[in-house]
Amino acid sequence: MGRSLLTYSEIDRTVLDTLRPASRGYWFLIALLALGVLVGAVCWAYQIAVGIGVGGQNHPVAWGTYLINFVFWVGIAHSGTLISAILHLFRAGWRNPIARAAETMTVFAVCIAGLFPFIHLGRVWMVHYMLPYPNQRTLWPNFQSPLVFDVVAISTYLIVSSLFWYTGMLPDLATVRDKAKGYRKKIFTLISLGWTGRHEQWRHYLRGYLFFAALATPLVISVHSVVSWDFALGVVPGWHSTIFAPYFVAGAIHSGLAMVLTLLIPMRKIFHYEVFITRNVLENIAKTIVLTGLIVGYAYMIEYFLAWYSNNIVEQESFRWRALGEYSIQFWIMVVCNSIIPLFFFIKRIRTNLVWLFCISILINIGMWFERFVIIIGGVAHGFIPSVWGDYAPSVIEYGIMIGSFSLFFMLFLLFAKHLPSVSMTEMKETLSKGSSQVHVGS
Amino acid sequence: MKRRTFLKIAGMGGLSIATGCDSRPEKTLFSQVRTSDDQVAGRATWYASTCRECPAGCGILAKNIDGRIIKVEGNPMHPINKGKLCMRGQAALQGIYNPDRIKTPLLKEKNGWHPISLSQAQNLLKEKAQMASRRGQNRVRMLTEVAGEGLIGLFREALKRWDSDSLLLFEPYAYESLKTANEKIFGLEGLVSYRLQEADFLLSFGADFLETWLSPVEYARKFKQMHALKNGEKGLFVHVSPFQSMTGANADLWVSCAPGTEATIALGLIHEALKEGRGVDLPKNIRTTLEKVALPYNKERVIESSGLVPEIYERIITRLFRSSKPLILGTSTGGSGNHTLQANMATNLLNFVLDPSLTLIDFTNRHRIEKAARRSDVLDFFEALDRNPTDLLMLNNVNPVHSLTEASQVRSALEKETLFVVSFSNFMDETTSLADLILPVSLPLETWDEYGGWSSIVSTLQPTMGGLNNGPHLGDVLLEAAWGSEKPAKNYQTYLTALLQRSEKIRGEKDWLKALQVGGIFDVPAQPNPSRPEKISDGFDILFFPIPKRDKSGFVFLATPSIRFFDGRGANKSWLCEIPSPLTKVAWHTPVMIHPDTLTTMKVKQGDVINIQSQWGNIEAPVYETEGVRPGVLAMEIGQGHEAYGRYAEGIGLNPNALLSPDTEPNSGAPRFTVNGVDITKTGNTLKLARTDGSRIQHGRKIALTTDLRTLHQPETHSTPGLAMHEFPLTLPIPEGYDRKRDFYPPHEHNTYRWAMTVDLDRCIGCGACTAACYAENNVGVTGMQGVLQQREMAWLWIERYLDPEQMDKITFLPMLCQHCDNAPCESVCPVYAPHHSKEGLNNQIYNRCIGTRFCSQNCPYKARRFNWFEWEWPDPLHLQLNPDVTVRSKGVMEKCSFCVQRIKEAHGRAKDETRQIRDGEVKPACVQTCPTGVFTFGNLVDKESRVRKMVEDTRAYQVMGYLNTKPAVIYLKKVVQEV
Repeated sequence: MGRSLLTYSEIDRTVLDTLRPASRGYWFLIALLALGVLVGAVCWAYQIAVGIGVGGQNHPVAWGTYLINFVFWVGIAHSGTLISAILHLFRAGWRNPIARAAETMTVFAVCIAGLFPFIHLGRVWMVHYMLPYPNQRTLWPNFQSPLVFDVVAISTYLIVSSLFWYTGMLPDLATVRDKAKGYRKKIFTLISLGWTGRHEQWRHYLRGYLFFAALATPLVISVHSVVSWDFALGVVPGWHSTIFAPYFVAGAIHSGLAMVLTLLIPMRKIFHYEVFITRNVLENIAKTIVLTGLIVGYAYMIEYFLAWYSNNIVEQESFRWRALGEYSIQFWIMVVCNSIIPLFFFIKRIRTNLVWLFCISILINIGMWFERFVIIIGGVAHGFIPSVWGDYAPSVIEYGIMIGSFSLFFMLFLLFAKHLPSVSMTEMKETLSKGSSQVHVGS
Repeated sequence: MKRRTFLKIAGMGGLSIATGCDSRPEKTLFSQVRTSDDQVAGRATWYASTCRECPAGCGILAKNIDGRIIKVEGNPMHPINKGKLCMRGQAALQGIYNPDRIKTPLLKEKNGWHPISLSQAQNLLKEKAQMASRRGQNRVRMLTEVAGEGLIGLFREALKRWDSDSLLLFEPYAYESLKTANEKIFGLEGLVSYRLQEADFLLSFGADFLETWLSPVEYARKFKQMHALKNGEKGLFVHVSPFQSMTGANADLWVSCAPGTEATIALGLIHEALKEGRGVDLPKNIRTTLEKVALPYNKERVIESSGLVPEIYERIITRLFRSSKPLILGTSTGGSGNHTLQANMATNLLNFVLDPSLTLIDFTNRHRIEKAARRSDVLDFFEALDRNPTDLLMLNNVNPVHSLTEASQVRSALEKETLFVVSFSNFMDETTSLADLILPVSLPLETWDEYGGWSSIVSTLQPTMGGLNNGPHLGDVLLEAAWGSEKPAKNYQTYLTALLQRSEKIRGEKDWLKALQVGGIFDVPAQPNPSRPEKISDGFDILFFPIPKRDKSGFVFLATPSIRFFDGRGANKSWLCEIPSPLTKVAWHTPVMIHPDTLTTMKVKQGDVINIQSQWGNIEAPVYETEGVRPGVLAMEIGQGHEAYGRYAEGIGLNPNALLSPDTEPNSGAPRFTVNGVDITKTGNTLKLARTDGSRIQHGRKIALTTDLRTLHQPETHSTPGLAMHEFPLTLPIPEGYDRKRDFYPPHEHNTYRWAMTVDLDRCIGCGACTAACYAENNVGVTGMQGVLQQREMAWLWIERYLDPEQMDKITFLPMLCQHCDNAPCESVCPVYAPHHSKEGLNNQIYNRCIGTRFCSQNCPYKARRFNWFEWEWPDPLHLQLNPDVTVRSKGVMEKCSFCVQRIKEAHGRAKDETRQIRDGEVKPACVQTCPTGVFTFGNLVDKESRVRKMVEDTRAYQVMGYLNTKPAVIYLKKVVQEV
């Protein structure tokens, strides 16, 4: 499909087409996912009523899939902001067609990530103790604790990324409003906040968008660094390492890019977005995945080097056991999926083939989930005192909650795809007006 | 709506939500409307009594708050245990408060048990007894556990009224062979006690004197007097047995010998001793007999037969003859099999040869368990039930159906139609369930009585609380049944005091009251010179028939007594089930212990379920791999596998008695706890054992350290401290332990107090009494078998057991608890300050503040923190045992050792009242209080004069994982090992 065919109205038509009433299959899918969410909710309610022991956590492994999923979803969130903010600042025009979807993924992923610390708590009904609210007893949260850093970091990230997402969507919402009828018109009138497209508004919009992009950029680095400190600031062998922040950030982007591919490839097909999301765009994502995959692979190796170089027998045993112990399967899934399989993207045939791209993206997602498993479970399961070494396996309730979280994410994303413009018309038009040089950046 | 109304409603709503989610407090805060005269509401009153969990008879103090006893501790004035108590003693509370305790008398009818009133039951008993006595002689019989003089006397008198003299004292462990050996050698049919503390070389042929043997708390204390490091020296202990019990694990050398060859070795040692020229002072007749008996046992024969390593046998001989005060102990409580009698006789003779004056044997203070009948008599008793017409059988706290083998026909004897069986038990155990009438009497902690564990002392029992089931005293029941209105005494208490006066043990009321206050009358006459037996007979040679060469076919199965359950009576107490076995660290299950070499040849691995088949029966047991048994030997603990006996015992674990022979050893009448020639076959099933340990070795980490006696006083090789694990210096948890080069944060100020503890690994025997005391004191939850399988046990203090990877039968025990670090990793990571560093250095856990992130536990290098995964259950009335001074934690919060902060607070209160500071040694956490060997020292580190401060200066002092710079306040002293 030649880019020369693309016109402003063509862009509008293609995107607005996606907002037409959905098919029965779509609603069936939504209902199925809602059921999944319900399963998760029931499991959580049961856990609150009976106690956290319905999960598989134990002594010594006191953190289980809840924290794995937390880190996983925070990680997913990252590449959305990377694509929408950092690549925007870098003027990487190829990110324009995917920025909206990626940013949406970020917002939803952060929401879901944010749920897990609540699910994880032994006494969730006392969660307000974590907030620095004024009280008679002058009790404050412990600002030394990485978990308090988490509260600040995640909530900041959620606020900034949702504002960034919403701001970026304003002109598009107005476009929908202009074409809509009936109650949809009313809703879109309300949520487009009186956008008229005046010059003044555009000036503010562009400036604001840029600022948000600038504000969100350090968050990409900081949030996952903070999440990594949940581990790195502990003394646990396998956690207590200075490389954790860059290692986690790279890992987060790695998993996020994979998730973008997982989401976009079907969406591109269903919504006929081939004109926007060209193979070039996907190829560029694949190339970035090669980079992050190499960083992650490097981190895996450097961890081993550090363990060996430290001459600390506890660290050494911890890493020896990681590769050869009870969780060696998980470890090798992690290594293979995250740092070996992405290398296939060096081959042009593979990185331009949709099926390959999709499959590899799924594998990376799995690999990244297991990376968190290996770190979170492996560290404490085989800690300092051999007499209390133990193992861990998730329980049915944990699987239920995991199903719930994935269902919620995909449900929200599906709802978004059918009800809000999933490609930024504004930015596509911008790309068009600025000429193909922008579009072809990076290709 | 007015503002006020809104607030009220909002408040009510909030309240109802809050209470809905949270654990509700008990509605009744005080159990008594009016307290008795000697009690103050909310304050503890202590009653001295005597522990009846085993026949040893330790003195106890029961802590009563508001009418309920909540803790049992050793009585410091009692000569047997000197304030210490084992885990079974600690768990006596769970007998009183057992949820399966029978509350009313029950009568068996065709369709099951029917509750009847106490007077009905008493009348029925009286009626049956009178009817039986009218019909002839010995038609009323009684089987009882070993009880005090008072009760036994009353039993005899009552039986006499009914024209019977059939009273039998039944104990599953009756030390028949030891008793016979004493009789044959010393001319004294009884169980003497041993002055372990004075020995410098101890050689045991399996006597598990730290677990169940005669009087374990007493011997554990005495053992460490002899074996703990003192003035740079320590005694030597060698344990020779086919199964390394916990006692064997505490030996400097455990020598595994082939089962049944203990006698050979002991005779071999006599042979060597005589060759060495020992025993020249012995009477000539004895000497010649000895020479004759020991002649064939030269080194080659001993080594060939016992499977000992020649070099080790040589070394034992050398050390034995070099020592000035050697003491040889006999065989284990159980484990008696072939030639056990000979082994015990040989050890007696060996003692005699090495020290003809027998200074280390105390013939005065004899163990009361000697009163127990021999197993052969027990079997005769049951046979007599079958043979002679008997109408009434009374059972007092015995469970022969569980303790005797299936083949011994006890069950059928009890089930006989014509026999009316009355059980005075409080628990529906196997034997009681076969009774016709259950008349639950009050338990020892609820009654008056006397039970002297030594023959020379009076040790009193008194009600430490009101009876929970309102059961009568057994003495009163018998007085009523046998005499009716013509009672010799008003009640059992007066009967008992009269008896004690008659025997001139007390003089009048005043003495009795004084005895009750102190716990007994202990002025044991000082015996500087042991009263050696009059004559040593030389008629023992006929019992030393030539010991045959060992039979090498098939496996040998050993049933060993359990430190947790004793003979099985502890199995209905959840603490004892939850606290793992000291050696296997397996809780709840009963595995069979097998040597790895045997497993390799059998192609079986740990956790596989195997079928063990003996001539007498079979059991399917999960396998536990351990180097602590000899290859070819299977060992299993006695105590579990109950068919009845309440929720914690029924269907849990296995009963090795199923494999044992019903025969007894002909010369001593001892039961056989050893079976030769058992077969094992794989079943294909596996069972995940409820183990509480992860790895059995410490992977070269600085956890449980040992030091060699010889190098103890040599300067450390690491004279320059560094930052790595093995060179990091001891950093005290007080400001002087801080170094600006290492520490980022400034030290905590500790002005008056900084609580700390030293743990002397050289003293720890791994018995787990501390753990049980902690469960009792701190309301620690019991998670059950499932909980342990999921690695969720809640112990605040547990014993870690590490094997030496070089030599897997070398074991170091290490009590692990919250280290109360000054630089605590848990404190910095909690988002809400629930772990809080107190100004006295305690690492407090604020339960109310905890939201359950579990980050503290993740970050704790010692994994000392426990999480409340669920709301733990204390089935009614176990909750009455809960210590009111300690919060019961709800689900979702973290908990851990608090150094018994409630006891520190109490001491603060006392000190404040008397305007002084807390004295050194005034605060004793529960573990410190109960430890039989004095492992723990607790005190104030700021006080330079305190004992704990002085111990910290010991060259053996170190901190577990100290290199993490956590500055633990629990400072360990290395175990001192020595080569034999």
